[in-house]
Amino acid sequence: MPPFEPSSASQSSRTSSIQSEQPYSRAPSSRHLRPEDAFPNTSPPYQQQRSRSPLGRSDTVTAATAHLVNNGNTTNATRKHRDKRRGRSSSRRRHRPWKKLLWVKQSYPDNYTDEETFLDHLQRNPRLQPYEFWTLVADSTIIVQHVCSVIIFVCCFTGIFQERVSPNAVVGWATFGTVAGWVLRDYWHTREEVEDGGVVGRGDGLGELGEEDVDAGTPASLDAGFPPKEPPLPANGLHSRVHSRNPSLTSVSGLQQAQSPPLAASADLHSPPVPSPTFIPPYNSRKSSLSPRMAERLTTAKSAILIYFSLLGLSPILKSLTKSTSSDSIWALSSWLMCINVFTFDYGAGPEAKFPASLSTNAALMASTVLASRLPSTTHVFSLTLFSIEVFGLFPVFRRHLKHHSWPLHLALTIFLIVLASGGLGMVISGGGLGYAVLGVALGGVVTLLGMGATSWWLIGLQRYKNEIHGPWDPARPVIRRHWD
Amino acid sequence: MPYNIAMISDFFYPQPGGVESHIYQLSSKLIDRGHRVIIITHAYDSPSRAGVRYLTNRVKVYHLPHWVVYRSTTFPTVFSSFPLLRQIFIREQIQIVHGHASLSNLCHEGILHARTMGLRTVFTDHSLFGFSDAASIMANKLLKFSLSDVDHVVCVSHTCKENTTLRASLNPLSVSVIPNAVVASNFRPLQPHEVKTPQLYGDKGLLLPSPPDPSQPLGPGDPITIIVISRLFYNKGTDLLISALPLLLRMHPNLRFIIAGSGPKAIDLEQTLDSLPQQLVYLPSGQSRVVLMGSIRHEEVRDVMVRGHLLLSTSLTEAFGTVLVEAASCGLMVVATRVGGVPEVLPGNMTVFVLPEVADVVRGVTEAVGLLTARAVRRDRFHDQVRMMYSWADIARRTERVYDLITGSASAEDNSEYYNSEWENYGQPGTTQSFALIDRLKRYFGCGVWAGKLFVIVVVIDYLIYCFLELAYPRHKIDLCKPWPAARKDKGVERGGEVEGGEGEVVAVERYGTVRQKAHAPREVRREKNAGAPVVVTGLGLGTTG
Repeated sequence: MPPFEPSSASQSSRTSSIQSEQPYSRAPSSRHLRPEDAFPNTSPPYQQQRSRSPLGRSDTVTAATAHLVNNGNTTNATRKHRDKRRGRSSSRRRHRPWKKLLWVKQSYPDNYTDEETFLDHLQRNPRLQPYEFWTLVADSTIIVQHVCSVIIFVCCFTGIFQERVSPNAVVGWATFGTVAGWVLRDYWHTREEVEDGGVVGRGDGLGELGEEDVDAGTPASLDAGFPPKEPPLPANGLHSRVHSRNPSLTSVSGLQQAQSPPLAASADLHSPPVPSPTFIPPYNSRKSSLSPRMAERLTTAKSAILIYFSLLGLSPILKSLTKSTSSDSIWALSSWLMCINVFTFDYGAGPEAKFPASLSTNAALMASTVLASRLPSTTHVFSLTLFSIEVFGLFPVFRRHLKHHSWPLHLALTIFLIVLASGGLGMVISGGGLGYAVLGVALGGVVTLLGMGATSWWLIGLQRYKNEIHGPWDPARPVIRRHWD
Repeated sequence: MPYNIAMISDFFYPQPGGVESHIYQLSSKLIDRGHRVIIITHAYDSPSRAGVRYLTNRVKVYHLPHWVVYRSTTFPTVFSSFPLLRQIFIREQIQIVHGHASLSNLCHEGILHARTMGLRTVFTDHSLFGFSDAASIMANKLLKFSLSDVDHVVCVSHTCKENTTLRASLNPLSVSVIPNAVVASNFRPLQPHEVKTPQLYGDKGLLLPSPPDPSQPLGPGDPITIIVISRLFYNKGTDLLISALPLLLRMHPNLRFIIAGSGPKAIDLEQTLDSLPQQLVYLPSGQSRVVLMGSIRHEEVRDVMVRGHLLLSTSLTEAFGTVLVEAASCGLMVVATRVGGVPEVLPGNMTVFVLPEVADVVRGVTEAVGLLTARAVRRDRFHDQVRMMYSWADIARRTERVYDLITGSASAEDNSEYYNSEWENYGQPGTTQSFALIDRLKRYFGCGVWAGKLFVIVVVIDYLIYCFLELAYPRHKIDLCKPWPAARKDKGVERGGEVEGGEGEVVAVERYGTVRQKAHAPREVRREKNAGAPVVVTGLGLGTTG
């Protein structure tokens, strides 16, 4: 690739605030103004050449112009010439078109507003994408899922608080779900890597590097616009050997003519393409005994155990942390925190985002912490806190992955959550049994569906009022593409 | 007809900047045209400026006591400055209040109170704003409030006019475009006698590449110096510069860079330079190809500029781009991003316009280097051309025409002949604003559903305060300020900023607060001036407290 080839991507991403080239283009044409137009000291042939050009008049500069003209023709001649021109009918001058330029002296008043060019670069709603109803409804499932999981959490807390539900059952089911979700995610990762391995290996082999690669191989200097001097070292024979522990990878990477770099250790991290000229295979010295996949699994298990035990140790403290605060304050505080959680949650994040919207997560965890102090025993506190971590910390990650990988499963999960949330809500509000749960499910389902449809329809209706104004005054967005070779 | 004009803005000397020098130069030239001009700004702490001061050329400055909140903007109290402003307006018999800069709170207050007092108002906008982010929406609403009752608005470029018209919902006919200007004599290309003495820039000058000799034509392999003068902020396009710099250094081994300015992006720039290979950044002689100068004073800009061949501006938004004009005046070829009002400022033979993309910046610089090496541009003629294009005297004349338009009075003799008779009353109907309170309230009411009502309340309160002030401090008890004694013609010229010492030798008091003596200026003039002036000239502080 030649270094400065403007790729089609950069063309299309050109900012809207850039004015089109045409009015000011430097191409030598008869319509083009020259600096001499700022003052009328032009020699006759030049003037004839551009008979229709908007010659500015400049009486400000009469005295000074005279000096300038001295080198060419005589002052007197020019002056006479100019006088003659000025004496000519003003009707001719009127036809001279106005130019949107500051440096040329024009015979128009300063507040002249040219009907043709005024605001001609104005763009209204340049990137307007009309919404489709069903797409919007489909997208709103993400919000519904999150709201439902918050409601489920609140219902579970109420159940535990009223001692209708055993905390162990709640946290047991939740932990089961979490582990199942994690296994599913792990399976997706492996499958994705196998698929990616086939593609990436031949194409841009430097596409995705895991976080360890970034640490190991690339100094910051490479940001500066230098293509790698030499192609990646042919050390890749090592890779396939290293990776061969992982059965799913072996067959593929062996086929790839030793071109593929180690793939992302965790596909959560898609680091920007960072080339490494002196490319060192990162794993062969450090983690030779385990495949990166397995190593990551072990790390996850380790941190899970760590969290589990530290939570166990902290539970007595959490229990008495806000005991002195009155219950009213706790209800109010946790309600606000839950609202913050719902409103600041990053609904648009894709599967690669690890912990988006930390404010949202923190608010939810704090809410569960203050709620925990209302519970009678340490076991209760521990269960609730663990449950909240699972619901607010890990469950969103799983939901993002699920939506990314399988739409039907996403829809099924949504329905499942709606049923669970509305059923739980029915039971908690009524204080009754399963019959009320069914009633709640019926009501909740109808309300949710209506709400999704109505809000989508409303948003589409609101598009009429959209008036986004763009023009040359907007700060341009610089296109900084780093060309590597 | 001579007017009594009050320029009002938060931004004024001793703080350096573009708006500040605009106000000063405009006032000074308006005084030369026979008007009485005062400048109202807030008090500055360091160096201390308070009370009343006189500057060069009889410019009188009122420094009001005010609480400065952020970047020399005063705290937005809507009514608190009214008593003081009213005293000043009456005392100075002000007819026209001319506010500057849309972020200046004092300016908006001044315009509001002036309208309540029945004075004519003009507003000059110096900057561009978007419409999308929350801060802009807020600022635009306030601007709409302030400008819904202004007589005329002046913008510094056509792009700025479009922007301001949209932001404040103005009638385009009551918006004039009057650009900034440069004091061309301060930005002259390297003079032949200066080539011999390379100590243009004190100690730091030793580090810089020596200035090119204008008499020597540029050969194909000769070093070409690119000047970058900008604050190193995101919106000045420093990221573009940082990304383009290594590519340029690699493509053109004969390029040198002088980068003047400081800001948050300076660290990024330094890191980039440190990370580059040594042979790219340093010459075999050990000299660096990229010199970072840090921030420089405005007085030093010219001395830096004349060391280069090219000025590179990668700004992402720019209302006018004074630095481009200054560079062209110094005889530099200009490579600039095509943003905001930049394309209007300079003719195509002085500039290469680029898109704000790294690849295109590199292309533009390559093109400009090619033009320079092929000697396709006459850089030696740039200065005279720019001098013809932009002069403060011309700006003052055009501003005076705006004043004529809003007061409905006849133009001065030298001003009326500029336009054909068909333009005589162009835009007149859009500019006559009734002073009746009910008409003003109608205009404010139209600002928005909620904002309109709020603004009406503000205006009514302002009017009540005015009535109260008329009772508490009756008009006839306020002293009128005596005008500065009309100077004799010869003396006036001497004080008045410019001394014509022969052809084109315009030197004496060129810049605000700095009496600059060019080597060839007549010595007697300066001595007499210092003797005659009532104060000692030191640095920026030029003037007495009244």
